[in-house]
Amino acid sequence: MHPVLQHLMDTNFEDLSGSRVDGRIAVSDDLINLGLHEVVAMLTKSSAAPAGKTESPAPESTPTPYDSTEKKAATPDPKALLRKLDVEKLQYRTETGRTVLEIACSVRK
Amino acid sequence: MPVTDSTTLNALVSQPAAALAGTDLQIHLPLTRVLLNEVLAARPANTPVRELLIDPNDRNRFRVHLTAQAPIVGTVSRQILFAPGMPVSFPDQPWLEFRIEEGLGFFDRSLISVLQGQIERRLPRGIELSSKNLRIHIPGLLTHLGYQRLVPLIQSLEIKSEANRLLLNLHLKAE
Repeated sequence: MHPVLQHLMDTNFEDLSGSRVDGRIAVSDDLINLGLHEVVAMLTKSSAAPAGKTESPAPESTPTPYDSTEKKAATPDPKALLRKLDVEKLQYRTETGRTVLEIACSVRK
Repeated sequence: MPVTDSTTLNALVSQPAAALAGTDLQIHLPLTRVLLNEVLAARPANTPVRELLIDPNDRNRFRVHLTAQAPIVGTVSRQILFAPGMPVSFPDQPWLEFRIEEGLGFFDRSLISVLQGQIERRLPRGIELSSKNLRIHIPGLLTHLGYQRLVPLIQSLEIKSEANRLLLNLHLKAE
């Protein structure tokens, strides 16, 4: 994981306190449909992976075996950030050819 | 040129004006000194910069602590005080400018002037360093990074300093 993201997680996103987003996000139907297809492809691929998994030869420069005591890099927990959000406005609607989100939110200090 | 492995993100970056038409968003991002220094610490290892720290203060100034390997003179350490300039707005004001107020002596300024060509060749396209200021040409830098189509979306971009934080204000708009 990137060290900056790791730092944000380790400090419970404290360094983003006071951040604010305000306005309108509009996304075209074309982009949303592209994203949906990509998600479906990803889910299909990941569910099929164990059966098709082949053992690859170890790279030449892998001298250290897996250490089970080593702290694993955690994946970002969206709840940790969501708990710090003050959501003043969140309105969803659709228009011809696009999806619109009116949003006003900030990260609590 | 694909920017990520995601076809959706690549479509967004290649045609942002169409993908985000109707978007009008203000983003206020305070970047703490700790976070900024984490970002600076994550820089690539293969640069002449040995140490790089930033220290924002409450007079709309920030100090950069720099130790670097410079041509001719070897290792140099400086503490340079920068003052942020005017906000970037397109297309009239594409430069994000930081004026150098303290930290460079007469010899440093002369050396920078003499080595201007070498310095320019080592910096990414869009970034300029002179004896008076550090300037970032936002369209040039975004083009260099492969994000040139994002440029028209940036209505304004401003950086200010307060105690222990840099404040980044960004207005994005896609007609």
